[in-house]
Amino acid sequence: MDVTMDDMAGDLEFSGCSSTTTTTSSSSPSLDDGMGTYAWNGLSPVADWGSFYPDDGGQDLHGLIESMLCDDTLDLSPPMFTDEVYCYSNGSAPSSTTTTNPSTPVNDGDAQQRGDGPEMGLRLLHLLMAAAEALSGPHKSRELARVILVRLKQMVSHTGDNAAVSNMERLAAHFTDALQGLLDGSQPVGGAGRQAAAAASHTHHQHTGDVLTAFQMLQDMSPYMKFGHFTANQAILEAVAGDRRVHVVDYDIAEGVQWASLMQAMTSRPDGVPPPHLRITAVSRGGGGGARAVQEAGRRLAAFAASIGQPFSFGQCRLDSDERFRPATVRMVKGETLVANCVLNQAAAATTVRRPTGSVASFLAGMATLGAKVVTVVEEDQGEAEKNDDEAGGFVARFLEELHRYSAVWDSLEAGFPTQSRVRGLVERTILAPNIAGAVSRAYRAVDGDGEARAGWGEWMRGNGFRAVPLSCFNHSQAKLLLGLFNDGYTMEETSPNKIVLGWKARRLLSASVWAPPPVSVPSSPAEGAFQAVGMSPASGGVGRMEFDYIDSFLVEPAYALV
Amino acid sequence: MKPMMSCHEKEHPELAATTSNNGFSWLDDSISFLTAADVDIVAGGYEEWWSSPAVAQQDDIGSVVAQTLSPPAPLPTTSSPLAHASSPAVSSPLEPSSSKKRKSPAHRASAHSSTNQRRRADQLHRPGASGGGGGKKGGSKGGGAGSDRDMRWAEQLLNPCAAAVEAGSMSRVQHLFYVLGELASFSGDANHRLAAHGLHALARRLPAAVGHAAAASVRMPPCDCPTPAFAGAEPRLFRASLIKFHEVSPWFALPNALANAAIAQAAARGAAEPRPLHVVDLGVSHGVQWPTLLESLTRLPGGRAPPAVRLTVAGPAATPPAPFSASPPGYDFSPHLLRYAKSINLQLSISRAGSLDSVHGIASPGEALVVCLQFRLGHATADERADILNKVRGLSPELVVLSELDAGGDGTAAGEFTSRLELLWRFLESTSAAFKGRDGEERRLLEAEAGTSVASDPAGEGREAWRERMAAAGFEEAAFGDEAVESAKSLLRKYDGGWEMSASGAAGAVALRWKGQPVSFCSLWRPACSG
Repeated sequence: MDVTMDDMAGDLEFSGCSSTTTTTSSSSPSLDDGMGTYAWNGLSPVADWGSFYPDDGGQDLHGLIESMLCDDTLDLSPPMFTDEVYCYSNGSAPSSTTTTNPSTPVNDGDAQQRGDGPEMGLRLLHLLMAAAEALSGPHKSRELARVILVRLKQMVSHTGDNAAVSNMERLAAHFTDALQGLLDGSQPVGGAGRQAAAAASHTHHQHTGDVLTAFQMLQDMSPYMKFGHFTANQAILEAVAGDRRVHVVDYDIAEGVQWASLMQAMTSRPDGVPPPHLRITAVSRGGGGGARAVQEAGRRLAAFAASIGQPFSFGQCRLDSDERFRPATVRMVKGETLVANCVLNQAAAATTVRRPTGSVASFLAGMATLGAKVVTVVEEDQGEAEKNDDEAGGFVARFLEELHRYSAVWDSLEAGFPTQSRVRGLVERTILAPNIAGAVSRAYRAVDGDGEARAGWGEWMRGNGFRAVPLSCFNHSQAKLLLGLFNDGYTMEETSPNKIVLGWKARRLLSASVWAPPPVSVPSSPAEGAFQAVGMSPASGGVGRMEFDYIDSFLVEPAYALV
Repeated sequence: MKPMMSCHEKEHPELAATTSNNGFSWLDDSISFLTAADVDIVAGGYEEWWSSPAVAQQDDIGSVVAQTLSPPAPLPTTSSPLAHASSPAVSSPLEPSSSKKRKSPAHRASAHSSTNQRRRADQLHRPGASGGGGGKKGGSKGGGAGSDRDMRWAEQLLNPCAAAVEAGSMSRVQHLFYVLGELASFSGDANHRLAAHGLHALARRLPAAVGHAAAASVRMPPCDCPTPAFAGAEPRLFRASLIKFHEVSPWFALPNALANAAIAQAAARGAAEPRPLHVVDLGVSHGVQWPTLLESLTRLPGGRAPPAVRLTVAGPAATPPAPFSASPPGYDFSPHLLRYAKSINLQLSISRAGSLDSVHGIASPGEALVVCLQFRLGHATADERADILNKVRGLSPELVVLSELDAGGDGTAAGEFTSRLELLWRFLESTSAAFKGRDGEERRLLEAEAGTSVASDPAGEGREAWRERMAAAGFEEAAFGDEAVESAKSLLRKYDGGWEMSASGAAGAVALRWKGQPVSFCSLWRPACSG
């Protein structure tokens, strides 16, 4: 079951997919590397959404959605509503006798409607909202939803790979696909999006290459990925400092990018301390595809580890058919420090988006029983709408929440990459589209009142005896430094000592938090002693060592992590 | 064409008496008549049109979700959920088979059709019972009714929008206007058309409901109907459209045929000597109704044909404005009708009355006076109705024919809107079936006129309310003769299988239904003996 891959390192072509920028810790040159290749800065963002607004303040996608939602204060300033943009030609050719197709709305004025602009965005948003409404609530009507989606597809049909369309249209295209997935009842395993489905038909290898490229580009374009990875990695490094063998169980390894940067950090300590042995157990889902993708991520990681001299082994453990985690499937080795990593915001095509309620909980609980020393969680931040949704608006409120979130993501990407970039399209298609499909699907299947859907995992973990592990000062400043490399719009918030939240302008995007599981009741667990040492009993000798290492890492690590 | 028609008449003389299309030959225009083959195409096209959405809806998630989640609460804006629940069970199982049967002329033999009709009527009287024959589709699932309603998506947007308009919740109105604006189309399928007409009506209603200032803050999608209604139509197109509509849809043709049959009966009855007949036309047929009547009068047995026929056409001003009552300037059917009467050796005179008061001067003793009040009072206020009916009563007619749309709201503006929307849906859906899904200027003209019915304000009323009103005006209800009902049933078989009619017993009105839902009724009245 468990495959050690140290010996397979030689034959992998990791370099083809990832330049060193993927794994080096976000030095500013990594931004420049992408420029040369894709020349994205050579294109002028003429059709830029933002250019419709004289001022930058709040008049982005996100602001548009806000303006749509604010009750009875319709901020409909005249320039946003020009009649030409909104013109139909239903009455054309009045004398002809034609057979109308009953399934297609006959809005033949699409060419005129290409005027885009904010009006187009508002129309799309209202339709998306109406489709979500039609799929839920007391007046549920699949036929209405179908008709609305047909219309939406007409309106965004010209997107495709032609990137010269507005941000809103492309965002709407992905949400349209996500809703269509709900209507068709397809499980968005491996991405429900239209493009994702098309991509899935490619050979697996080629597809993985695309995804890796996309991941790398996303890393270069925004702190979206690195924010979670770095914060989690730093917390892990601090937790295992001084340990000789480290075992990370990763709930969703995706392409494995996170661990390349962890290895980099482990092997490049300036104090010459040799890197600990790192073993990664990736949790995989049922179905050959998922296991194969995980296996491939492992092969890449093994190759990378070999190239930088990181002692490494890799294994998988499989979830049950109902996606429950069983601790017994993890191969435990005596003397290893156990770490649980749970990154929930990356739903690349190789990942299983579908995540039934209880799967994450079973993982967190299971890792606690195995005696994990630390648990890192990266998740999308749950916004305000979740907290006070009335019963009727359950799915609609959650759907709007996702629209909000991804419009902020879109806006943030817009700031880093102009719309016209082919690369941007790749990122949207291969990473964000499956993400959206998964998020919408989860929003749809979430039961109102379900803790997972509402408050994120912090609440659940606190309620189940997990203890907050404060982020180190270094971890904080690392995140701040990271954001400094990107656009001013990114924000970082400390909502609690063990959690930081990445935001775009006023909108929270995702959070990273660090936890220690409750004490294990079975004393035979090898990791128990180490676990309990974390700041709990001052008398223990282990604590002193931990704290020392903690300080040590604080003093030393900035040197290699960020420069 | 001609041989076809004569053959048709020979086979079904009783049919021709009341329903023959021959009467339309009073028009010189070349008009395509429906042949038997055409009728079958109508039926076939309908079948196809009918079945495809039903099949498509099987594999959507909606049914799964509906079973998983608790059943949705009844739509608050729906006026008569029970009526809808019963509809598909009644109509859907029967339609495909019966329309197939119509393909063979042999099946039009009266014996068969009467049993068929009886079965139909039975089902109408027991709407709860799912159709006796071939209930494969309708009977399979209790959710059938819900599915039918589910397919009518336009109302699911329009009714909440109407409620929001009346409640003055502007953000909701704006949201739904956006959505409706995207989905509305005057040339799409029936749902898209309903969305277009409904949106147009709501946009016009909005200022009155919320005030002009608030209404001005709402971004209005363009929703004006590109086709002018009757008053603005080109006269030749207007006439062609009316005739075509008579051929393909019983919406007006059936009430007209029933009225004609009752009038002919009234003319034949009574005194030993045939009397002159005087018909006061307070209808919306714009002349199309009368050739058939004139022709049937010449066929009255035993030389009972009236020696003279006088037709008094009460112009639009005689009643409050009603949909379908206007005609374009320059339209005059009198010369054609007079020429036609001459060709069949019937003495006809036509006069026009601006109001009902002036009819008094025209009426003369000794003639059989019949007032045809058809589809003119549906949009009048209660006072206006009472006024008109009193005036009609003052004429002391031998017979009053009253046809009206069979609909009623719940008294609220939103409920009224819902009720009218349902009727318009029946109009648009049945008209789409009548034109076999084909668009064209004739269809568009009729739909543009029908669309105006949603815009008007006052309430429509169901049959019961009319009964009370007529009784209050001093009338008592009379029954249709058996032949009149039978021939109307024969006529109805010419049209799409979604149509049904029911005669409720000896002293009842005849109701016309589309897919089990009431459309209109036709009733007969005489001055009450006591009065």
